Amino acid sequence: MAMSANLLAVPVAAPLLTAALILLFARWGGRTLIRHQIALTTLALCINLVVAVLLFRAAAGQGQRFVLQLGDWSAPFGITVYGDGLSTTLLLLTALVALAVYPFAVATIDYHRARMGFHPLYLFLLMGVNGAFLAGDLFNLYVFFEVLLMASFVLLTIGAQPAQTNSGIRYVVLNLLASTVFLVAAGIAYGTLGTLNFAQIAERLPLASPAVRTVFAGLLLVGFGSKAAIFPLFFWLPASYHTPPPAVTALFGGLLTKVGVYTLFRSFTLFFPELLLSWQPTLLTIAGATMLVGALGALAQPGIRRVLSFHIISHVGFMLMGLAVALSGNSLAVGFGLGAAIIYLCHHMIIKTALIMAGGAVELYMGSDRLASIGGLVSRQPLLAFLFFMAAISLAGVPPFSGFVSKLSLLQITLDTRHWVVAGVSVFASLLTMMNMMRLWRESFWGDYSRPSRIPSRILQSRARQQLMLTPVALLVLLSLALGILGEPAFRLSMQVAQQALDRQAYIEAVSPSSQVSALQIHSHTFEVETVSTTRP
Amino acid sequence: MTSLLLAVAVGSLFASGTYLIMRRGQIKLILGLALLSHGVNLLLFGSGRLTEGRPPIFLDKTGYAETIELNLPADPLPQALILTAIVISFGITAFVIVLVNRRHTVTQTDYVHGEFVPLLREGDPFDFSESTEIDQHDWLAYEVDEVYDNDELLTGSPSFPPSEQDESTAMEEDQYKWP
Repeated sequence: MAMSANLLAVPVAAPLLTAALILLFARWGGRTLIRHQIALTTLALCINLVVAVLLFRAAAGQGQRFVLQLGDWSAPFGITVYGDGLSTTLLLLTALVALAVYPFAVATIDYHRARMGFHPLYLFLLMGVNGAFLAGDLFNLYVFFEVLLMASFVLLTIGAQPAQTNSGIRYVVLNLLASTVFLVAAGIAYGTLGTLNFAQIAERLPLASPAVRTVFAGLLLVGFGSKAAIFPLFFWLPASYHTPPPAVTALFGGLLTKVGVYTLFRSFTLFFPELLLSWQPTLLTIAGATMLVGALGALAQPGIRRVLSFHIISHVGFMLMGLAVALSGNSLAVGFGLGAAIIYLCHHMIIKTALIMAGGAVELYMGSDRLASIGGLVSRQPLLAFLFFMAAISLAGVPPFSGFVSKLSLLQITLDTRHWVVAGVSVFASLLTMMNMMRLWRESFWGDYSRPSRIPSRILQSRARQQLMLTPVALLVLLSLALGILGEPAFRLSMQVAQQALDRQAYIEAVSPSSQVSALQIHSHTFEVETVSTTRP
Repeated sequence: MTSLLLAVAVGSLFASGTYLIMRRGQIKLILGLALLSHGVNLLLFGSGRLTEGRPPIFLDKTGYAETIELNLPADPLPQALILTAIVISFGITAFVIVLVNRRHTVTQTDYVHGEFVPLLREGDPFDFSESTEIDQHDWLAYEVDEVYDNDELLTGSPSFPPSEQDESTAMEEDQYKWP
């Protein structure tokens, strides 16, 4: 079934229009209105999910490439929206995560924060993330990065509690610096290659001087890497993720760093595949350090959400490791590493969101997430304890779950390419993850029941709220289980996606950027331009 | 010559922006971010090549193909990029200023002058200077105060800051209806 490329507009347009509609009436912040906001937001999230499923089936399942040239302006002159297997996989996961976190958010976000515009901001964040996955040129990628950053700034600091504002400043400044570096990269690309379109950059970059390529790749690595929280650039993440309401942390943990990871995947496979080989030692070192620092840092943290946010960093290291070995592989197929990284990404987005939500539920029940002062929740909340345990062992990589499949395939490619050190580091980091997860579970669920806070939790009073909180966690854990049991077809699919992403020529042909003025289709009575090149000498 | 000037300007903007960001003061932080964004804008401006004295449109349509060397238009794209970047950095700078101001208010610290200037107005909903028992779980603070009152639907904003209410009645039932 051939799908129209116009569908690519929906993941951006649906959240944007719904949020705009909500904002129109946001002045009267009554409770009925907030219920309408919730209904509208749910509707937008469902539409987004349906469209993402349709796109994913066509692009990842059948290898289709969607290209939407906005306003029918051909490639380098207009705005190109591009969706292939990799982008639609991420679109689908984003839609799933956003829809899963939303009931949790509805149950836990208080009225004041809802009045301050939590629901439209949620949609704006979704719009920015979707747009970043679909962008077909550097500048629109920058714009969507800023959209999602702006929404995340406000979501992070919504309520303006002291800890939130403190962490907000770090988050804002470090992310702005990353955006600045990325914009410099865009400027350099335009100055040297004369284009911002991905396909045209990929076309022209091999002709550029090595110095340009190195500077461009380095700037992109720093810019995207600090969004993805790789080793020396991750400091914004553990400084901020534990301060907002848990729903926001779950959304951020599921989506934000993955945008950075996606852009790294996209830029390195499309622009400089040769650097994946020549920079491999550097990338692997960064990946190993990221894994190790994340896991070791988590070990030293006193609270549930702090531990979990350090683990996000550790897992980004695993994905980067998959990217670094994407083009090598002795007995395995080329692209095996990227396929493994993609399935790891899926596993991570699903289970990390579930785990942060479960941790947030613990925090809500206890009034605190400080491990030293809580304990014994298993007797009061056996279901939550069960779900937390399942999510934790999935994260650590225990067999029936998706964590096992993804970690095994990553380890396999690393051993196959004889990177013994980084393979050892990844096994060690997995062991540390296991240890950390057991520590979290033991400290919060076992032992004597102790609940330090005097703050009464209203969530405990409502069965509806509890169901809204725990159902998405259960569904995500089930999804992770399904991904683990159906490991083989899932891996075959992600290999297809990886092969498609590595096929640069097909990307360029699909977008088919034109360097001719005639592409502008200027029809005038006085002149007819046919073959005048606009590329600067 | 002009491009050298541009390069020096971009470089010094980046250098001073970086320097200011690394200072302790929060105002310097804001200024540093602003300078950095100006530096990037100028860099984008330079990326389109400096074309002097030519408009960004085709001058002579009739004989365009023959006289392209003479009529090469200035590149209009960097200006569009800069305009977008300026708008974005303007919005973000405004947000950072508000954030720094709020932080200054709620944490009551100011690294710049070393003295606290009270900025809170009477009845500011963000005034948490009195609440001492909220340790690091600040985000729970609103929850305590929540008054679920269905009668004030659409009649206006609830009392803000929320009025004091007995905890026991607040916990009795959840009047929040789900869609």
